[in-house]
Amino acid sequence: MAADTAVVASPEETLESLLREAEALKQKLEEERQKLNDVTLISVAERLEPLNIPNLKMRRTLKGHQAKVLCCDWAPDKRHLVSSSQDGKLIIWDAFSTAKEVTIPMPSTWVMACAYAPSGGAVAAGGLDNKVTVFPLGGDEEPASRKRTVATHTSYVSACLFPNSDRQLVTGSGDGTAALWDVESGQLLQSFQAHAADVLALDLAPTDLGDTFVSGGGDRAVLVWDMRSGHAVQAFDAHLSDVTAVKYHPAGDALASGCDDSACRLFDLRADREVARYGKPSLIFGVTSVEWSLSGRLLFAGYGDYTACAWDALRATRVSIMSGHEHRVSHLTLSPDGTAVATASWDTTLRVWA
Amino acid sequence: MDMMVSTLQQQRAVTEQLRREASIKRIPVSVAVSDIVRFINEHEQEDCLLVGFSSQKVNPFREKSSCTVL
Repeated sequence: MAADTAVVASPEETLESLLREAEALKQKLEEERQKLNDVTLISVAERLEPLNIPNLKMRRTLKGHQAKVLCCDWAPDKRHLVSSSQDGKLIIWDAFSTAKEVTIPMPSTWVMACAYAPSGGAVAAGGLDNKVTVFPLGGDEEPASRKRTVATHTSYVSACLFPNSDRQLVTGSGDGTAALWDVESGQLLQSFQAHAADVLALDLAPTDLGDTFVSGGGDRAVLVWDMRSGHAVQAFDAHLSDVTAVKYHPAGDALASGCDDSACRLFDLRADREVARYGKPSLIFGVTSVEWSLSGRLLFAGYGDYTACAWDALRATRVSIMSGHEHRVSHLTLSPDGTAVATASWDTTLRVWA
Repeated sequence: MDMMVSTLQQQRAVTEQLRREASIKRIPVSVAVSDIVRFINEHEQEDCLLVGFSSQKVNPFREKSSCTVL
């Protein structure tokens, strides 16, 4: 029996010894992290001037979906947006004019994830169909007639992203895995398995190498992955509920999470611990999405209470509230040049704030 | 037997994960935080949502005015 051989191959390891070692490692990890916890971010930031930022105004309202908008992403041209909805449609918008440019029908309703390819020449989307489909844009034919099914999961798709080129796709799924796919062949290149529940959010490290990414899950954990080996290299498990959003800080060595427990958290990767938490007793609805401003001073968060807001990431104070949506804010994303934030909502609209 | 094998394999994966986590190098929070603050300071001026636009004309999402000055 193959499984038996694998076990016998290391006879010194028993369940008891592995459990003992795991407990000792956990204790060592906690001690190491605590030893290096010499200051708090808030105490350092107290020396900084409080932020006085220009109020974010609602500049555009994009109307056209027939049901909840679940996800959106900016095109690299900083002008177009793709959105996906419970109505089973993908829409490409001109965010400047608010015109609907292309509507693409999807095979199922609840399209939970969508992404623009880095070239701007294609979009990817998926959801309750358990697949991610790539649609080439431009040309005379309908995008739907040239679609390519790239990724297949055994449960819903919660997130999809292109890591630096149109050739590959990273996906997250309710089946508890993340996966890296070759777009051309649809071949699975690497599977990432360590979450004990649904993968709910993904983000790519903001480096040119693009060799790590982060995931958040229904198991209350944030995991940092090595794209090549397929191993989780770091784990952050301070959350009290589902991790619904993850986003790397633009500096690249930290990341923010959004959680159903209504808090956002900042984790530093090199200190290997939580360094700040963003929340208020009056905020009781879950965080649905997080995003950074260009410099990483502002952390934007969308909530189930119909609002989004901006946090001063250093002083951990709320500096701006974005009110206008009439239902849950499901997603928010920064335009590539940092001049605007787009929000998607269950109220069937998207809005652009600047 | 099969259940024991899979429990052992699961525990081995968990322990291996912890070994990897324990082996990474860490830096003090003070160093990490000062690096974050430095990055923000270096990029603050490019952050339109933080410092505003030099003029509303360069804001691509400004309110449309009925007339423009050429």
